[in-house]
Amino acid sequence: MKLETPLLQDDIDRLKIYDRIIICGKVFAGRDAVLPKLVKYIRESRLAELGIDLKGSVVFHTAVSPAGIGPTSSNKVDIESSIPVLSAAGVKIHLGKGSLSGETAAALKDHGSVFAVTPPVTALLSSQIVSRRVAAFPEEGMEALYELEVRGIPAIVAIARGESVFDLAGRGGDRGWL
Amino acid sequence: MAVSFNQIVEAVQEALIRASTTWRPDQQQRYQEAIRNEDSDSARWVLEAIFENFRVAADRQVPLCDDTGVPHVFLEVGDRAELPAGFLEAVGEGIARGLRRLPGRPMAVLGDETQRITQSAGLAEDPGALVPAPFQIKRMPGDRLKITVLMLGGGPEIRGRTMRVFHEHSLEAVLAEMVRWAAEGAARLGCLPCVPAFGIGRTNLEAASLALEAMKNGDFTLQSPLERHITAEINRTGIGPLGLGGKTTALASFVRVGPQRASGVRIVSLRVGCCFDPRRATVEL
Repeated sequence: MKLETPLLQDDIDRLKIYDRIIICGKVFAGRDAVLPKLVKYIRESRLAELGIDLKGSVVFHTAVSPAGIGPTSSNKVDIESSIPVLSAAGVKIHLGKGSLSGETAAALKDHGSVFAVTPPVTALLSSQIVSRRVAAFPEEGMEALYELEVRGIPAIVAIARGESVFDLAGRGGDRGWL
Repeated sequence: MAVSFNQIVEAVQEALIRASTTWRPDQQQRYQEAIRNEDSDSARWVLEAIFENFRVAADRQVPLCDDTGVPHVFLEVGDRAELPAGFLEAVGEGIARGLRRLPGRPMAVLGDETQRITQSAGLAEDPGALVPAPFQIKRMPGDRLKITVLMLGGGPEIRGRTMRVFHEHSLEAVLAEMVRWAAEGAARLGCLPCVPAFGIGRTNLEAASLALEAMKNGDFTLQSPLERHITAEINRTGIGPLGLGGKTTALASFVRVGPQRASGVRIVSLRVGCCFDPRRATVEL
């Protein structure tokens, strides 16, 4: 299923876990250093100062550097803790990798947002970038908030409607690790 | 004949590029087996994407992963090898040039001690500013020199640990702990299938060094019974590629057991290597 930004709530409401999607258009890229800063601006109602509109947006948890792009672990404290606030501010898809907690899944559901994962395939992902610009916090270098225009980033929906593949994944096995 | 300073710079640079952009045949073979073995569509889709990524990265000589990693160097020096003046400087220069050519991710953190901890003084723009980890060095017979460059990404470092295990004179007790750590790490890693590397030594430093040596030596197609056991146990979790469920949570395990201390304790070090690990290449001079 192809999804073009800005996303409509209807597009998101249709998604369920394990759906394969392709995200195209403009997406924000940010990670450990910049997402807490963005959250601070949202909490202080100062987002307009940055000239950023998060309504219907995608936030890809990645650095942007000459080495390319690729998902970083979304369960790092700085990143996972940003998800509820960013969802409330209009981010519809958080794109990264790694399992997230039940609380985060619940927050995503409350705001009608989803978490999708993409394989760390930098050589493939980087070839999908049409343009890039620093959207905010240039002082963070490769960890600045970037706006990327992408042809199509493939992903799988991992958390939607309160359901998480990370609750289900371990069920195929016969040990209670998860 | 002794190798020259420039030969070492060139060889190390080439090794870094090769480690960062391609896979060895044993690694490719293991992925192909895993793809054939998976029943789940999602799992196969992930494995095929990772394999296709290798093909494109190798073809264009671009990084397999945007986290190009912290360079680790393993030096094996022949007892009769003649090294040029500035040998270690040449290795460092080769690393810096390799990082610039790759290009590595510009992720060296600037500033004094406090600023480096809090990342408050920004990052270096030069990919070559990334200082390699302390070199590991070992003697070997002969007059040759072997240099292995390993690129260690950040995700596996979050999931790794070095800790004591009370062995209770039982291999099973130690193995159970190793599998538990690896499975816990794999559940949170994201970039699955993983390749856990273990070192078992007498001190924390030695155990971590042995884990690096395990990554240097490891072959996906030549697995010891110990390694096969660990891989099979991790795969019983069903966490699967990218955590989406499936048969392939671990592709292989690499274990290196060093000398041990007379004690009820073993020091075990684990790195839960990611789906590209070990990103390594060796040159012999």
